[in-house]
Amino acid sequence: MASLSATSLSFKAPSIQSTRISQSISFGRFQSSKSLRLQISCAAKPETVQKVSDIVKEQLALSADTALTAESKFSALGADSLDTVEIVMALEEKFNISVEEADAQNITTIQEAADLIEDLVQKKPAA
Amino acid sequence: MRISVMSQMQRSFSIDLPSLIPLQLPSRRYTHLWYVIPDEVKSTSLLKRYSQLLSQTEKDGVDQMRGDELKKNALLARTLVRTTVARYQTNKAFDPRSLMFKKNVYGKPEVDWQNCNNQPLHFNISHTDSLIACGVTVHAPVGIDVEDKERKIKHDVLAFAKRFYSADEVNFLATIRDPEAQRKEFIKLWTLKEAYVKALGKGFSAAPFNTFTIQSIPGTEEGYSLCKTSEVTADPLEETKKCNGEWKFALLELADSHYAAVCIEDDQANEGAPMRVIVRKTIPFVEDQLISERIFL
Repeated sequence: MASLSATSLSFKAPSIQSTRISQSISFGRFQSSKSLRLQISCAAKPETVQKVSDIVKEQLALSADTALTAESKFSALGADSLDTVEIVMALEEKFNISVEEADAQNITTIQEAADLIEDLVQKKPAA
Repeated sequence: MRISVMSQMQRSFSIDLPSLIPLQLPSRRYTHLWYVIPDEVKSTSLLKRYSQLLSQTEKDGVDQMRGDELKKNALLARTLVRTTVARYQTNKAFDPRSLMFKKNVYGKPEVDWQNCNNQPLHFNISHTDSLIACGVTVHAPVGIDVEDKERKIKHDVLAFAKRFYSADEVNFLATIRDPEAQRKEFIKLWTLKEAYVKALGKGFSAAPFNTFTIQSIPGTEEGYSLCKTSEVTADPLEETKKCNGEWKFALLELADSHYAAVCIEDDQANEGAPMRVIVRKTIPFVEDQLISERIFL
């Protein structure tokens, strides 16, 4: 995992992430702010994405073999606002986090939900 | 009162669409509520003709939906909006395809009247798996929300309410012993609260659900009013509620299967006058049916 400290950046990224980061740096100055963003908030782990997918499938009563990807949009799967709120509640329970209403409204894909979850989990004070 | 235009449709087959029966704009304080039941629209040729009404952006939106049923419902939703708004245009040959839409700065869909400013017509749409509704008003922003009466909530209803609703609403729900009755009241409140937020048109963050209460007006069967809790004060006991009449609500049942909430911004000049809702069921270009006219105090 990449880590960010006050004075240095160090990467011990798994191969996929380090490839992505080095690619964006090589494209020149327009990419630099994007690569900085990638360094600070890494995309969510695949396990998190999977757990979110499972919760979404359950809430929307999708068949077990419905192919969901990280990019799947809730609205395209037939979720209305009540479904989205129920999904957020289920995620709060599963990951023991608390989602602000403003953040909850901005979640439109599985990836966004997973990213928010990992962000909140990371910010929790150590037990 | 049934009006069938089936014969018109059979005559003009491929390119020309039949005219929709034109209607006068609603008067102030009236909401016209139109709904379509997806299960009743089965003809693939009819659905194909509906898809010809849509813009490319709308067609792309329909294609994004996963699965045939969701695609069909998305198509019907756009068809309902276009044909409903088209009915109120004074030009009898008005083509629903010519309507353009845009979003306000907060994302609420509106008609883009191009260069014809000061158009009084407002609309709002809501859909569930089994019913799609569109409300139309003049001179007043409107919000509509529909929900299947039998919709099951996966979480405990009171836990859900405590998380999202206002304290007064939680207290109200907590007094209901029967779980089924409690679930129904929860759903009714959900539709009323959604309708308000949609009428407001400023996005959900402008009116978080726990900052306002919608409650029955004592002495009326179906009257509801809105109370907003004030900003956080130093002393929680001093929390004041401002109940105003700026927003009017109606809660109805459609097709015996759905709750529908309508919220409109009050016209100050007519303060105190009741709100009326005229409900019509439609299969665009095929059949329109007047269902009811109701008054809400």
